Amino acid sequence: MPMHIGEKDFRKRVSKGISDDYMRGAVRSAQERLQNRRAAAAEELGDWEEWRTLGQQIRSHTIEHLDYYLHQLSDKVAELGGHVFFAETGEEANEYIKQVIQKKNAKKIAKSKSMVTEEISMNAALEEIGCEVIETDLGEYILQIDDHDPPSHIVAPALHKNKEQIRDVFKERLNYKKTEHPEELALFAREKLREEFLAADVGITGCNFAVAESGSFALVTNEGNARMVTALPNTQITVMGMERIVPGWEELDIVVSLLTRAAVGQKLTSYITALTGPKQAEEADGPEEFHLVIVDNGRSKILGTEFQEALHCIRCAACINVCPVYRHVGGHAYGSIYPGPIGAVLSPLLSDYDEYKELPYASSLCGACTEVCPVKIPLHEQLIMHRRKIVEDEKKSTLAERVAMRGFEQIVHSANLYRTATKMAPFLTTPFAKNNRITKGPGPLRNWTDIRDLPQPANERFRDWFKKRNKQGGAI
Amino acid sequence: MKGSIMNRDRFLTNIRTKIGGLTASQPVEKPVWTVSPQKKVLKDYTPDQLVEVLEEQCQHIHTDFFRTSSNSLEKTLDEVLNHYGAKSVIYSNDERFVSYQLNPYFESSLSTGREIYRWNEKDKETSISFAEKADVGLTFSDMTLAESGTIVLFNKKGQGRSVSLLPRDYIAIVPKSTIVPRMTQATSYVQEMVDNGEDIASCINFITGPSNSADIEMKLVVGVHGPIRAAYIIVDDK
Amino acid sequence: MRVSFFITCLGDIFYANAGKSAVELLERLGCEVDFPPTQTCCGQPAYNSGYHKETLEVAKHMVEVFEHADYVVGISGSCVYMIHEYVHLFEDGSNWQKRAKALKRKTYELTQFIVDVLGIEDVGASYHGTATYHTSCHMTRLLGVKEAPFRLLENVKGLRLIDLPNRNDCCGFGGTFSVKMASISEQMVDEKVQHIEETEADLLLGADGSCLMNIGGRITRQGKPIEVKHIAEILNSRGEE
Repeated sequence: MPMHIGEKDFRKRVSKGISDDYMRGAVRSAQERLQNRRAAAAEELGDWEEWRTLGQQIRSHTIEHLDYYLHQLSDKVAELGGHVFFAETGEEANEYIKQVIQKKNAKKIAKSKSMVTEEISMNAALEEIGCEVIETDLGEYILQIDDHDPPSHIVAPALHKNKEQIRDVFKERLNYKKTEHPEELALFAREKLREEFLAADVGITGCNFAVAESGSFALVTNEGNARMVTALPNTQITVMGMERIVPGWEELDIVVSLLTRAAVGQKLTSYITALTGPKQAEEADGPEEFHLVIVDNGRSKILGTEFQEALHCIRCAACINVCPVYRHVGGHAYGSIYPGPIGAVLSPLLSDYDEYKELPYASSLCGACTEVCPVKIPLHEQLIMHRRKIVEDEKKSTLAERVAMRGFEQIVHSANLYRTATKMAPFLTTPFAKNNRITKGPGPLRNWTDIRDLPQPANERFRDWFKKRNKQGGAI
Repeated sequence: MKGSIMNRDRFLTNIRTKIGGLTASQPVEKPVWTVSPQKKVLKDYTPDQLVEVLEEQCQHIHTDFFRTSSNSLEKTLDEVLNHYGAKSVIYSNDERFVSYQLNPYFESSLSTGREIYRWNEKDKETSISFAEKADVGLTFSDMTLAESGTIVLFNKKGQGRSVSLLPRDYIAIVPKSTIVPRMTQATSYVQEMVDNGEDIASCINFITGPSNSADIEMKLVVGVHGPIRAAYIIVDDK
Repeated sequence: MRVSFFITCLGDIFYANAGKSAVELLERLGCEVDFPPTQTCCGQPAYNSGYHKETLEVAKHMVEVFEHADYVVGISGSCVYMIHEYVHLFEDGSNWQKRAKALKRKTYELTQFIVDVLGIEDVGASYHGTATYHTSCHMTRLLGVKEAPFRLLENVKGLRLIDLPNRNDCCGFGGTFSVKMASISEQMVDEKVQHIEETEADLLLGADGSCLMNIGGRITRQGKPIEVKHIAEILNSRGEE
């Protein structure tokens, strides 16, 4: 379970998150900034809904014909001289990558940000064969230095750390001597990593979008590390989740525009780098050898199910940035490298309900995620579908809940039972009420009243009033 | 086929089965998308209006903006280089440095003690090590996107990837005719080449200002791995 | 205009006053209001918990209950949205789905009905006080009713309405979420109460009994001097404090 991070027990992870004031402060202000930027970037276009519609159409068409487009992509890459490896599992992917590296006798690997390589624990696999893997995205670098602290956000992996904590990590591990100003911290990382880029034998990248028709790969970054990783080392390996693909360049335009706006509110990020094959004979920089690893690792299980739309995700994290649950518990509480609403949808699918059965319930179904998703994934509805599966197929809901829901159904679909039940409510709750409030509820009410008061049900229900009033002659 | 493909059949058959397709894949027709909002952006803007949009956008992307004529390009470039304190400059091996008559300027600069190096695609080591220490990397823009303030570089042959990446600062010379509304026009151009079976550059870079990061507390830091400062010099065409 | 009133289960049991106000208000605006007494709950607790077979039975019952109505008007955006969702519970093209679609077409949330169907923005209410309004998630995002409550409140004489900071944030109710994920829900409702306090309003208004029960319960637990009312109560008030 390489996707899994942190403590096994969900409740422990949640309490840990809630009691981490540093993290919560950092997440709150980050969410606020990102939300505002995203909203401004969307509003500025004036027809954001049309963009979303187009994004949705492109993604759903592509995934419906994924086999075709992957076939086309691999043909094109091979035609350009690249090597394509289809990996059904993370292990297969890692095996192949190890082979490539061993053949090159490479020791130093520079890597730009990639969630799928996190998912398959590629770094650990490469370290086992004696390689040094250097994360070059600033956020990833910070986490790597800090004893491989797991990422808590898919775009800004070190979001849970504040600048003072980062300064201390640099101080302790790298003998950093300056202040906590982000400019100074970043400059220090620039100097440290420059040497690594120049010395690396192999560059490994993720993939924001592959373009099937031309065999190209677009990397969307701000720091420039992905450019370094693909300009300097002699060998490049690109690892992509199998769904990260669009048909042509016309579609690339749309998904990139949606991604940068939804993720960080930028019209475009500083660098969109589109790579097509290894370098040409008359070029100096760029890789001589190019390998593409296409990873399934559980994704195909999602195809053809009611969750297929989850594969439309373009990993912008807009849903994470608006999620109130994420704001309070932080990314690590999800126990998965994919946190937030999309993480709650994807993690149980890529892994299973045993490991992630709580995640679909870690949402108030407020729909903020669905509202911002640039490709219109109905995220909160997918969470309800998960709950349904857990109840109906997995039979993993508690007995108490099943009994309660069965009872609920009986009562509310019979008018008589319902009337009796609502009539009884005030009598049943009277012993617990004080000043028309219930502050210590019995049984299942406890979870409610531990936190908030419950109003005492009125003796006269609305329906009683209405009936009485009609008898007395109706409307005033 | 020059490369290789491994494990494809089993992998794609599995996908096909899951999606519900039964036979081997037929060619898929890309549908006509029902909306095209991208085509409306800055539609019908005149070249001068596009320059205005670009200038405004430069403020948002921390990029210095200069405008000059082809006759004064040399002078403006000299001013910008001085402004950036450029002691060493690397520029791409691009015809346009000749057609805009910048070669004499580069030669005369040498005498003022400024080191100038033209990217040499036949000498990787010297080129990269010069670029890595250079104060300024200098290129022409191949296409320029007004909306986002983006320089598009088709990196091939003498247009090394590292010129716009490794030096401390980056300067792009932007012929006015290269300015288009947005990314849509650049991707259409590439799409056309793909449709016609032409080779596209091994690396197409869309560069929007200097490098930056918001990985620390979501606070923007300008200048991370790539250039720390960026300037665009808009020049009327020859 | 004939209106069949949908009280919702929380309204029936806990918020009879909101229901009474809504009925009086609708009558004052010229509607003839009836109350189908066999109505129960919309089924949302079961639906959101994944018990869709159970929800289906509830949905059938409610479709039958309101079949005769010209209009159905409810006092909770969330429950009204649930009724709209019935369409997706039934098999495509089935007779039940047709009936659910017919119900959807004529079912409105109270403020939505007044503004969009009756075409009224000033209901002639007056209330002296300072209030802030909680926009509930399901009503704004899912049902799509964003402006109607504000249009109506802006025309209440004597009422000073203060913007609630971060008003798009969820209050943390979320049905069973409030008890299943109590510790997270607690953080959310605390944040909401804090924002409400920042407005220094004396009164919190909302159009969803469930959110009001959650926020109000936390407010009284913390002993804050903020009154909580359903929007119908203010729209029906005629000058009393």
